[in-house]
Amino acid sequence: MELLLLLTPFLEASLRTATPLAFAALGELVSERAGVINLGLEGCIIAGCFGALLAAGIGGPAIGFAVGVLSGMAIAAVFAIFVLVLRTDQIIAGTAMTLLALGLTGTLYKVLYGASGAALGTPTVGPWAVPGLSAIPVIGPALFRQSVLTYLLYAAVPTLAWWMHRTGAGLALRAVGERRAAAEAAGIDVPRVRWGAILFAGAFGGLSGATLVLAQVGTFNEGMSAGRGFIAIAIVVLGRWSVVGTAMAALVFGAAFALQYLFQALDVQLPYQLFIAFPYVLTLVLLAVVRGRTAAPLELGLRDGTR
Amino acid sequence: MVKLLRLFVIIHTVLLATACGTKTSGNDGAFRVALLTPGPISDQAWNSSAYKGLERIRDSLGAEISHIQTKTPAEFEENFRQYGAKGYDLVIGHGFEFQDAAQRVGPEYPNTIYVTTGGSGTGPNIAALSFAFDEPSFFAGIAAASVSQNGVMAVLGGTELPPVKSSFAAFEAGARSVRPDIQILTAFIGNWDDAAAGKEQALALMSRRADVIFQNADAAGLGAFQAVRERGKAWIIGANADQNQVAPEVTLGSVVIDLPHAFLLVAREVQDGSFTPRVVHLDTKSDVVRWVPNPSVQVLSKMVTDHIDGLRAQLIAGTFTLPMASAP
Repeated sequence: MELLLLLTPFLEASLRTATPLAFAALGELVSERAGVINLGLEGCIIAGCFGALLAAGIGGPAIGFAVGVLSGMAIAAVFAIFVLVLRTDQIIAGTAMTLLALGLTGTLYKVLYGASGAALGTPTVGPWAVPGLSAIPVIGPALFRQSVLTYLLYAAVPTLAWWMHRTGAGLALRAVGERRAAAEAAGIDVPRVRWGAILFAGAFGGLSGATLVLAQVGTFNEGMSAGRGFIAIAIVVLGRWSVVGTAMAALVFGAAFALQYLFQALDVQLPYQLFIAFPYVLTLVLLAVVRGRTAAPLELGLRDGTR
Repeated sequence: MVKLLRLFVIIHTVLLATACGTKTSGNDGAFRVALLTPGPISDQAWNSSAYKGLERIRDSLGAEISHIQTKTPAEFEENFRQYGAKGYDLVIGHGFEFQDAAQRVGPEYPNTIYVTTGGSGTGPNIAALSFAFDEPSFFAGIAAASVSQNGVMAVLGGTELPPVKSSFAAFEAGARSVRPDIQILTAFIGNWDDAAAGKEQALALMSRRADVIFQNADAAGLGAFQAVRERGKAWIIGANADQNQVAPEVTLGSVVIDLPHAFLLVAREVQDGSFTPRVVHLDTKSDVVRWVPNPSVQVLSKMVTDHIDGLRAQLIAGTFTLPMASAP
């Protein structure tokens, strides 16, 4: 009985935890489908966190989200310049972006907010219960008593899936990621598609960070992205590079984290490290077990213009 | 070609000159103190309080100060060496986790005094500050048990460092000393930065009906404050620094280490040359560790505060020792 009472809070926590992961993973998915692996995603997230904090303190949450998205795009734009214009290695450029953004946000935070930090004074958006739907027993509150960001995600997944598979632009994106030369021959402007894909990933990474600050924590601290960018990259692999698969994989991860929190709260007498490792062990198992038809985009990670 | 060579020589000379310039300007005999923190100084807890201590050393003793944030043991050693090489008088490694690095680097720079907060390692120029953090944690446990309506409380840590573990054990012992049947849940976030995880973990504990949460997770703990503030119907207790103003409406109190006081105590000895390497025990008696109830909420009954004050007086007088049966 007690476990049943915990089901709704668990499902709520799963979706809440999955939301920022799903945004980041969907961004990375688009980038990877264009053949660009962006390890700078973690950097986009932390930039989004910081941009959101700074702007929300001045203009409220809506401005905060907008600036968070733009901050993510700014980091992505630097990454794009390195990868597409200077043609550096994607892995190295991405790693450098993450390190740069983590250092930059930490330094700016110290300069602008001093030793006392931003405290919990940032305006946030709380959960908003959808009338009617949130009254459904058990799953109602879990699915429909969330922040607007989660609802935005509900809309983004089918839209993105439709765009990727039913539009010319989506086809162009996939073509660039699979057979760059063929795409070029077909008249597709490859650099333009990749610029678009990288900036999209940056925007969604920034949105992920803004969600952490404005819909969850209400403050900033250095390194608060805490590896979510890298988890998102694993989620894309787990989702087998499909939109719906990625969204589902994000949900699995969210659930794994929520379950980890719940396990600890259940006061089971086991070393806590086991619980903390749980989501990662689960990923390894799922990666070994789940097999989809699709593999990674063929052009993924290849240096621009080397062929 | 000759021109190029001449240019090269000029550049070289200029560089050498500037290099010498910086070297001499640093050694003007000022008292110099450095601090290494394991996390950001904006955490309003362990690290922020240490930075305030460093500032107090600067303001009270006129010291030249330097701070650096470090994450890995390799960085601890590297920065201990840097400050040793620069001839700093006192280098503080802020945390239990710095003691191994101090033991390794200390002998290489005998003119620098290395102090770690927490731990017990000493040497000719190595000392440790040991805080009796379990004493005020015990009092917090008494206070917490008196306001818990569900009879379920929780302790939430960053990682299971020995000082954190013993503080949680003391909190539990304090709570049980007044309510033997109380249930206490234990959870760790696994790091000290992930505030979102801190919040979710706190929410999970509250879904298990915990109505008092004693958190010791620095920056990640801010998420726990946010969770209690949003969800309500629970109290939160701050740790290390006075965190009563982080979320004043839901904070029961804070278990405080007065790091500025402790740092100044040691720095003053180092400056006037009277410092002897040892484990410096700082406890309730020296007024460095304290249980500070939140003045903005008047929820603790007079009976409870009197009970705590009485035990505190006995502890100082030496007639009371913590019943630490559950301590590791």
